[in-house]
Amino acid sequence: MMRGFGISIRPRTVFMAFQSLRSFLEALGKNGQLVTLHDIVYPEPDVRTYLKAAADLDNDSPAIVFDNIMGYKGFRIAGNVHGSWVNHAILLGMDRNANIRQQFFQVDRLWQDLSSGELKWVDNAPCQEIVVEKNINLYELMPLFRINQNDGGYYFSKACVISRDSEDPENLDKENVGIYRVMVQGPDTLGMQPLPYHDFARHLRRCEEKNESFPVAICIGNPPWLTTMAATPLPYGQSEYIAAAAIMGEPIELTKAIGSNLNIPAHCEYVIEGEVIPRQRFCEGPFGEFPGSYSGARNQIRIKVNRVTHRRDPIYETLFIGKPWTEHDTLIGLWTSVPLYKQLKAEFPEVKCVNAMYQHGLTIIVASDMRLGGFGKTLAFRVASTPHGMSYAKNIIIVDGDVDPFNLEKVMWALSTRIRAEKDVVVIPNTPGVPLDPCTDPPGVGSKLIIDATTPVAPDRMREITMIADPPGSAKAAERLREILKEVRPQF
Amino acid sequence: MICVRCLRDTARKVAEAPDRSGVWEVYYCKRCNYSWRSTEEEQITVLEKRDPEFQLDQEDLESLSSPNPIPPLEKK
Ligand SMILES: [Zn+2]
Repeated sequence: MMRGFGISIRPRTVFMAFQSLRSFLEALGKNGQLVTLHDIVYPEPDVRTYLKAAADLDNDSPAIVFDNIMGYKGFRIAGNVHGSWVNHAILLGMDRNANIRQQFFQVDRLWQDLSSGELKWVDNAPCQEIVVEKNINLYELMPLFRINQNDGGYYFSKACVISRDSEDPENLDKENVGIYRVMVQGPDTLGMQPLPYHDFARHLRRCEEKNESFPVAICIGNPPWLTTMAATPLPYGQSEYIAAAAIMGEPIELTKAIGSNLNIPAHCEYVIEGEVIPRQRFCEGPFGEFPGSYSGARNQIRIKVNRVTHRRDPIYETLFIGKPWTEHDTLIGLWTSVPLYKQLKAEFPEVKCVNAMYQHGLTIIVASDMRLGGFGKTLAFRVASTPHGMSYAKNIIIVDGDVDPFNLEKVMWALSTRIRAEKDVVVIPNTPGVPLDPCTDPPGVGSKLIIDATTPVAPDRMREITMIADPPGSAKAAERLREILKEVRPQF
Repeated sequence: MICVRCLRDTARKVAEAPDRSGVWEVYYCKRCNYSWRSTEEEQITVLEKRDPEFQLDQEDLESLSSPNPIPPLEKK
């Protein structure tokens, strides 16, 4: 982690490690970003209706806590916690008005040596205040609800699933924390969808080859940085716990699960301890997914629940996912963009910024200076060969380095004035795709669209034009205008 | 009881409102793994109003695709 003398890399007075969901909710509350809804709501359809409404509010949409749920009196549901750019700015320790580009570079600054984080084990962890081992009934232990109307059941949409590599069980770096969709299938059984390219699938395969079950812990209501890292594409062998701690700048507090050697976040709200049943598949789904459509019923793995532990007054955290824009998109947007940026920049320092916020990076915009004619295509090939881009990057757009890829008006300007379709637009058919993308057919096989919307440089060339230069003092003038606006609008 | 999704007699009541208000019950089908609550919209609870696209009454559940196929057993 970079800690310079005299220069504060991050505003330490504002940046907080947030060891728990509730400490983050408190910070959101202090910043006017939390609404507690005391109105009576039914689990269906009211909870989803409010969460969708929150997702559709402006950039400053708040987290919502429901505390008056029909049939679940005394229970609470929290949603939209990572659901807006203002909430995300608060998590990043930035001014609430920080724009997306500024947040991108803050993520880039925070993301230094992710293997430098430290772990701390605590006793008497809050997440184990209550232990339920008999007559487990998930429908009664937590305020479950159907997220989208045609989902096949009640899903955990924001749970961290923890598993270990059975071939290297003591290796903390290979302990995986990932967010997978988890479906409640009866009082003490769960279904889950790990995709073959997920780390969990490796752990699964090793045990199924030996016909062995293996333990998992499913944690709900997690510290916000852990949720963020669990949703971030990290390389296998990079622990999400250690990565979260590196970002937090202090050790993340963990404890041991009761029935296994799995580590769990000490301050999470609920923990479901169970084991994967090997070599069997059961009907799971449909589930409304991030492309805005349902993914169908499939045969998926099953988890037998052995134990549920929770805080005395637990908060059930959920994430509304559906037709974008939803909390899902804000949660992962910049955390998908920054690793791609780092991977590209490692070999091509000309790269200035990457926007991979659209549907987990199905569309990616790269801003870069051009080394030589045709370099835009080189960058596109690199995007398509990154671990994440291999299947996700479907539409790859390259713009000049001085175009802000988060400013879609500027991007459209580049498309409008730079594309020579016969040279700059290419489709590569029959490439890996994302099965959830409804355009892939068969599911998982798609194509890549490359649009090079950069200004041609030698030896390529463009018709002679003269660009209109920005007035040299305009950046300073904008700063001055902002100062005056603060006086004009003191209440903001 | 009959499952509203797969129409087999494989469903049962699995839960009541935990606050003992009696406002709803939850049912679960062990064949297709569907769960539903008595207070959900009619498109969920009333058979005639359900979207046929999401019914599983015709499907042979064994034949559903599996994104994670079971790997061959390791030879001892
Ligand atoms: Zn059924």
